Amino acid sequence: MPLTEDDLYRTSTQYKYWSFTSAQLATQRETTNLQATERVKANVARQRAARARSQVESANTSDAGSGVETGGNTPLHLGAEKEVNCLTVAEEKKLVDTFCERALELGSFLKFPIDVTATGIQFLRRFYLLNSPMTYEPQTISRTAMFLAGKLNNHNVGIEKYVAKFPKVTAEQVLAPEYLLVQGLRFHFQVRHPFHGLKGGHLEMMEMARGNAAPAPHCTETREELQKAMLALPKHARGNPQPWTVEQMEKRITQAYGFADKRILKGPAQLTDAYFLYTPSQIWLAAHLLADEPLTLFYLSTKAPPTSPLHEKLLATLRACAALLSAHHTYKPDTLSAAEKEARDKLEKEQVSALIRKLKHCRDPDKMDLVKLNAAQKRDAVRADGELEESVAKRRKVQREGFEKQADDFWGPELKKEANGTK
Amino acid sequence: MLQSTRSPASTTASSPGPDGPTDLSQQINDSVRHRFVIDTRPGHKLGEGTYAIVFSGHYRTDPTHLVAVKRIKKNADYHDGIAPDAFREIQFLSELSHPNIITLHAVFSTKSQTLSLVLEHLPGGDLEQLFQTPRDQLAYSASDFKAWALMLLRAVAFIHASGILHRDIKGNNILIAADNTLKLADFGLARAFAEPGRNMTHQVITRFYRPPELLYGAMHYGAAVDVWSTGVVLVELCIRDFFLPANTDVEQFHVVEHMFGTPTEESWPGVSSLPFYNLSSAPPKQAQWRAWAGARLQMLGGDGLEVVSGMLAVDPRRRWSAERVLRHAYWGNEPQMTRKELLPRVPGKGGKKKVGEDLKRGAEGEGEGEGRVEKVARKLDFGSMRN
Repeated sequence: MPLTEDDLYRTSTQYKYWSFTSAQLATQRETTNLQATERVKANVARQRAARARSQVESANTSDAGSGVETGGNTPLHLGAEKEVNCLTVAEEKKLVDTFCERALELGSFLKFPIDVTATGIQFLRRFYLLNSPMTYEPQTISRTAMFLAGKLNNHNVGIEKYVAKFPKVTAEQVLAPEYLLVQGLRFHFQVRHPFHGLKGGHLEMMEMARGNAAPAPHCTETREELQKAMLALPKHARGNPQPWTVEQMEKRITQAYGFADKRILKGPAQLTDAYFLYTPSQIWLAAHLLADEPLTLFYLSTKAPPTSPLHEKLLATLRACAALLSAHHTYKPDTLSAAEKEARDKLEKEQVSALIRKLKHCRDPDKMDLVKLNAAQKRDAVRADGELEESVAKRRKVQREGFEKQADDFWGPELKKEANGTK
Repeated sequence: MLQSTRSPASTTASSPGPDGPTDLSQQINDSVRHRFVIDTRPGHKLGEGTYAIVFSGHYRTDPTHLVAVKRIKKNADYHDGIAPDAFREIQFLSELSHPNIITLHAVFSTKSQTLSLVLEHLPGGDLEQLFQTPRDQLAYSASDFKAWALMLLRAVAFIHASGILHRDIKGNNILIAADNTLKLADFGLARAFAEPGRNMTHQVITRFYRPPELLYGAMHYGAAVDVWSTGVVLVELCIRDFFLPANTDVEQFHVVEHMFGTPTEESWPGVSSLPFYNLSSAPPKQAQWRAWAGARLQMLGGDGLEVVSGMLAVDPRRRWSAERVLRHAYWGNEPQMTRKELLPRVPGKGGKKKVGEDLKRGAEGEGEGEGRVEKVARKLDFGSMRN
């Protein structure tokens, strides 16, 4: 029994662990948001209480005489502090989408090939299904996600060279959340993209136009009949059939490819939930549908006969995916006027800056410094993990003895305490 | 007054609560980890290398379901975060599920941020041990050979269909399960197929198994590299010895040319433009493969020899794909292959110690730093030959 693409896709971690229905996705995001919100509120309250207590203490100790009055006033002041205004699920998602957009720019700045960048972006999206931007700040995480994507996909630039590309970013800042990130990804590192599929479909359509494509098994038409049908496709959806030369059709196919690739796969496909909701082939076909509907429908009809129930189901899925992709603010069909585009961008910019301002006031105070947190976690683990501690201690002892011996060989043995004169 | 305001809690309040709620991803990790019981007592390790320690373990709910837990050691010489070797193995094994590929049951981490891979328990030794066991202790026939070869080819065809190159196929990376199934293991050097035009390193694959295009320094290569290695393994299994042993990379060059002849533009179009082609033998060597194989590879029969010759075509474009090999009539021809449960076993295998030895061996004595790729690279030094 030959393996099909579908069989292979079903063995992938993307299919098994990172594909969802929109309801599942919504539930997961609510859970994540709720947990983060509770934690932010609890941690902020605890910090405020601690601050208040230390104020009371310092007031009492520094000014014992009037202590009664100031001590009595502090709790009132504490009560006046506003409750933290946390991000909603929708706001969290919008923020993540925004940072995916910035990661896309980061990828081209780093000169990563698109599939490496796209992997980094999906790492980010997957991470924020289980974590909130309130807990882990997205800019920090996105730098780590892109570094990890490079490292895993034969584009390891080296940490020093990598951080040199950013102002005021240290190697520790990029590396500290790496562990957090891989755990959040549940150790799944392989992301399946729609780029190859689009390219394959494009080459196949070109061959169809030239009359060279072998028809699919169910197909009753010959390759010549396929070519003939293709060269009579309407220009637009619901248009009338019109004649095309092979060269004209090749040009049309190439244009559709360019549009689907640049304007959709390298844009909205990365910045929406497309990867969670659809397979790579559904995504590229939906992108192609947006680029050239009659061409895509024709191509589909050569794969599954329009009479089959599968065809209808497939088309409904593709239309839903196309709707998701085209709703993104970076999707700009040629039909959109310059003024409309500008208005769209302006609105987006305002929303984003408001969100980033809001995020500043609802960060989890315990997770501000990931470098320190990482160091603390490692330190605690050494204590918790007795076996490791033993081996580390042993290694250190051997090392220390080695150094001491070297030092002794060079300087001569340490002077005796008695011989050390005055003290 | 003073007493009442000074709360003992105030001294610890500003540090993160250690018993506070954990992240969802941490919770998932902990639940995965809890599914396994691991024997970490000193003296009970299955094996230890520079790169990993292997412990035995089992599922908590089923103590008879044994696993091997490969705990990745911290690589102190690698400064770019978690070393990529461990990632590569996880990255590719997670995607592959096939009866002839070692199963990665789960991955989890401990508090100290070490990664553990929970792998299938494979107590039957490996293919290299199989062919190295003296004939009087282990005899096998053309039927047995065919059964092993088929399992191996299925694994190779599957990873290639999945778009993955193994890049380190050799006898001791092919492990044997308790039920005699062969399993391809050690994906520490694996990678996805490259985009056309992107350069790849030619310093991969253990020397004896390295195909001509890599010896000549090709920067672009594909699935054919694994097919060559597989062909070498099959010949080794027939002759019960290493097929193309060499002590240095330069010697490897000559050993391969000695057997298969010096390639020319006619026999391999494009070969003369490969970086190290100028190192090939002058005067050119004649291939002696046909004569040699006819004398030494009786076990294969005429059809089997055709298959293995196809796998060892010097020109990678003419080399057969694993899928083409699988379609050959050889598999259905006489002699019929041995049923799996009747296959001979490596004597004394099935014991506990060995699994770990096999699992960690791939990495032993090998890479630090960027990992084994670089280490292999360092071994390959043509500089001294240039003058």
